Amino acid sequence: MKRFNKTITAVFAAAAMAGVLAGCGSSESAETTTAPATTVAEASETAADTGIQPTEVTFWHSMTGQQETTLQELTDQFNAENEYGITVTILNQGGYDDLRTKLTANAAADTLPDLAQTYPSWLIPFLDKVVPLDDMVANDFDDYEDILENYREENSQFGFISGLPFNKSTYVYFYNKTMFDELGLEAPETWDDLIHIGEVFKAEKDMVSLGADDMAGFLEAAIRQNGGEFVSEEGALFDNEIGQEAFDYIMNMYNNGYARLVGEDGYFSGPLSNQLIPAYIGSSTGVSFITHEDWELGVASLPGHKQDAANTAGTNIVMFSKDANQKKATWEYMKFLTSAEATTKWAIDTGYLPIRTSAYESEEYQTFMENDPTARAAYGQSEAFFSSPAFDGSADVTSEVNATLEEVILNKEDSTEALKAVVEAVNDAL
Amino acid sequence: MRSKKPSAVIASVLKYTFLCLGAFFTLLPFLWMISSALKTPAEIIKMPPVMVPEVPQFENFSTAWSAAPFGRYFINTIIITVLTTVCVVITSILSAFAFSKLKLPGKNIVFALFMATLMIPGEMLIITNFITITKLHWIDTYKAMIVPWVSSVFYTYLLAQFFMQVPDSLYLAAKVDKCSDFKFMTRIMVPMNKSAITTIGILNIIGCWNSFLWPLLVTNKQEMRVLSTGLIRFQTEAGTSYELIMAASCILVVPIIIVFLFLRKYVLEGVSFSGVKG
Amino acid sequence: MKKLFGHYRLRDFKGYLYLMPALIILLVFTAYPLFKAFLMSFQEDYSIINGSYDGINLENYRELFEDDDFLKALTNTSIYVVFVVPISIVLSLMVAVLINNCGKRSKGIFQTLYFLPYVTSVIAIGIVWSWIFNSNYGLLNYFLSFFGIDPIPWLNEPDYALPALIIFSIWKSMAFNILIFLSGLSMISQDIYQAARIDSTPRLRVFFRITVPQLKPIIVYAFMMGFINAFKVYNEVFSLFQGKAGPADSAITVVYYIYDKFYNSADYGVASSAAVVLFIIIMVLTMIQRYVTRDKEA
Repeated sequence: MKRFNKTITAVFAAAAMAGVLAGCGSSESAETTTAPATTVAEASETAADTGIQPTEVTFWHSMTGQQETTLQELTDQFNAENEYGITVTILNQGGYDDLRTKLTANAAADTLPDLAQTYPSWLIPFLDKVVPLDDMVANDFDDYEDILENYREENSQFGFISGLPFNKSTYVYFYNKTMFDELGLEAPETWDDLIHIGEVFKAEKDMVSLGADDMAGFLEAAIRQNGGEFVSEEGALFDNEIGQEAFDYIMNMYNNGYARLVGEDGYFSGPLSNQLIPAYIGSSTGVSFITHEDWELGVASLPGHKQDAANTAGTNIVMFSKDANQKKATWEYMKFLTSAEATTKWAIDTGYLPIRTSAYESEEYQTFMENDPTARAAYGQSEAFFSSPAFDGSADVTSEVNATLEEVILNKEDSTEALKAVVEAVNDAL
Repeated sequence: MRSKKPSAVIASVLKYTFLCLGAFFTLLPFLWMISSALKTPAEIIKMPPVMVPEVPQFENFSTAWSAAPFGRYFINTIIITVLTTVCVVITSILSAFAFSKLKLPGKNIVFALFMATLMIPGEMLIITNFITITKLHWIDTYKAMIVPWVSSVFYTYLLAQFFMQVPDSLYLAAKVDKCSDFKFMTRIMVPMNKSAITTIGILNIIGCWNSFLWPLLVTNKQEMRVLSTGLIRFQTEAGTSYELIMAASCILVVPIIIVFLFLRKYVLEGVSFSGVKG
Repeated sequence: MKKLFGHYRLRDFKGYLYLMPALIILLVFTAYPLFKAFLMSFQEDYSIINGSYDGINLENYRELFEDDDFLKALTNTSIYVVFVVPISIVLSLMVAVLINNCGKRSKGIFQTLYFLPYVTSVIAIGIVWSWIFNSNYGLLNYFLSFFGIDPIPWLNEPDYALPALIIFSIWKSMAFNILIFLSGLSMISQDIYQAARIDSTPRLRVFFRITVPQLKPIIVYAFMMGFINAFKVYNEVFSLFQGKAGPADSAITVVYYIYDKFYNSADYGVASSAAVVLFIIIMVLTMIQRYVTRDKEA
């Protein structure tokens, strides 16, 4: 046994030594890898030049099925039509989690693609690898103001333009219209309507009538609907009367059995399809997973309170190209994908939302919306869009809020205690 | 033949009841996979669950198959699985033999080092290994998916436990007969442990066949991808087309089951040491 | 350890030639990243992207031990290990011995049946088990209702999430154990059993006097590996709770915590320090285990 102990000591000693060696290597690379960011300015100066050499551009995405088909069609169109001989290759890199892991690994190895779909929070560890688009947007972009304000804000939150919006969705209120009609209920417009619906379903059918796929998103929307702010790098911003009112409303819904957690169901599209819950709040893209063969599906904008507020979701396209020609070529493709024409086609084919006001107002999209209640509900709240801020620690905040909210709801805490617990969880996470 | 006493009959009934009950639980997910592959999307999410689909949707299989270049994935997966498994079996036999029979200065240190590598979650190693692969310029090559996996402490240790059971007297006798270590290993150790070697072979084939994150990480191009990465085609941020995932999973599992049925007899077919032991 | 290298002749090192292939691969692809992780755990605010850090200290460890989630993860993982490993091994051994006693044909059939979970799609397994645990329509609650037990919200309530995870994991780890036990049983000489049969030794006695001692190296292996793997439990959590760690994170495990810190929070230092703590725990317990099993051998 002594022998084995000594062995262990030896292992630790070896570990410590190799660690020292590895340390030399990594601090060296620290100096070399931060350098490329400084070349950005000189590259974008020449962005106005038209001379782009033929080149290949790679775009990493997470789109599958119809989404990928449409993306491929658009890309083929760009490859055929662009006058510079730019060839864009789109490469699926798995689901969002896989794509994120791949981007992190490739950022560490300094082998990022020219372009990728990303959520802002993914970029935080490697912000210095992102090509700022400010100059290109200023000098060579078609009507930046036409892009929805919330999307522009989301892409400017790091102090520079970090990307352009691409596949965007929003949270909407899905409901079983057949059941609502039967009970003489209308789609809700306010918190009070939701509580009323909750009371009616409880009394008439002994049913829980609301669920939210994303609890942290539900809370953030409620706070904003009440005129408040959610979190910042400093901590929770809702430890006040506005926040308390939002918690009163939420805990009232859950503690009285008007709303329930998703739990074992994973997503509420299942229970809604099986008519086990009459309504829920979830992503507009979830509509393709709702089956409603013997009942009518209704879709409404999110109910508001003092004001309207609706969560947005979905990624932006972000440039990581290194040399000047590559940047110019990638930019051509980005301009194309975000053009009114492309975003309209994209939205109609996939159910994602157009990113430009002009695309919403186009005759093509207006016609499409007439037959698509989800698109109508999304459009109806587009003025109230907000996106959650991304900062160092925002991912922790989201997971802590989710866990703590679940906990206070499961424990049926009163709303003062619930607010206290969630505020504490947010501040501890930062 | 032995005569059956009543108590033996009862024991036998109990035994089979127990085994069948257990088999029901092991079979359930497998049957579920097949039945789900034949369901409509509405039947998939039905609660209480639908056991047998009303109208089997056989076209799920063709839809799933055409959703990704599965033919190409198949070839890649077979190449990677075969090469990796051959290498793993060889390296594991070599190291297990060294650990179990050879005189090795500092054997305990090396063995502890081997074991230590198992004690850290693989998730922690991925990024560093990815950087190594990038520096070697192995991205989008078979090498990247094979080389890091050609040695396995898990299997080495298992084989060593089996090799240890081969009596030392046999080894010493061989030494007296001037049989070299290598010859002893290939002529005696390997045939005697066919069962264990087949077992690690099967385990490794399945591991390779299903490995997902690493192959995805080290390949950017479609043509280098493997089967398991095809399954993510049916998942989106908003939900999953389970019927298609299940259909694809059914297709993917067929070769594995064939291999297993083919190799199965070797797992149960041990070699008796009776001549040597005791 | 007294006789260091001086006592060995060069040809004694020949054995290393056999180890060389495995050793090279392990050094590059496991030992090296492992050492980097060790180092990372002492670097405050380490960035995996450019290797920068604020200083070398124990800040990550301080943060780790002040994090309630980590302490919960440690507790959960310990409970998990204590239940899953022994129960799985005892059950697997029972099943393997019973299968081994069957006639040639049913032996093959059962062997295949019990092996199926190993090849079944992980997603299918996850779905089936979340259905088995379903509070309203689940098979498990249906069985329990025969004994007058009210439906248990296995996956919805924090109190039941860990037990559900343990039941699921026992089931999931059995396929592997049964396979290696069967492989081990096939190595036991039939002559020994024959002798016992002639002496008409009771079955239970045969099991404890012959089967278990003969199978000991394999049982030790199954224990050791089951133990190490149980400490690293992650996939089971992920597939049972659809990517979460159970209601209100009640079934969080150490590796789930590590994964979350590493890939979700980009908190590489804290993730590494958690991995080091896990490493040390497993290492110490493995040493104790080796000590216990060795003593009996002597």
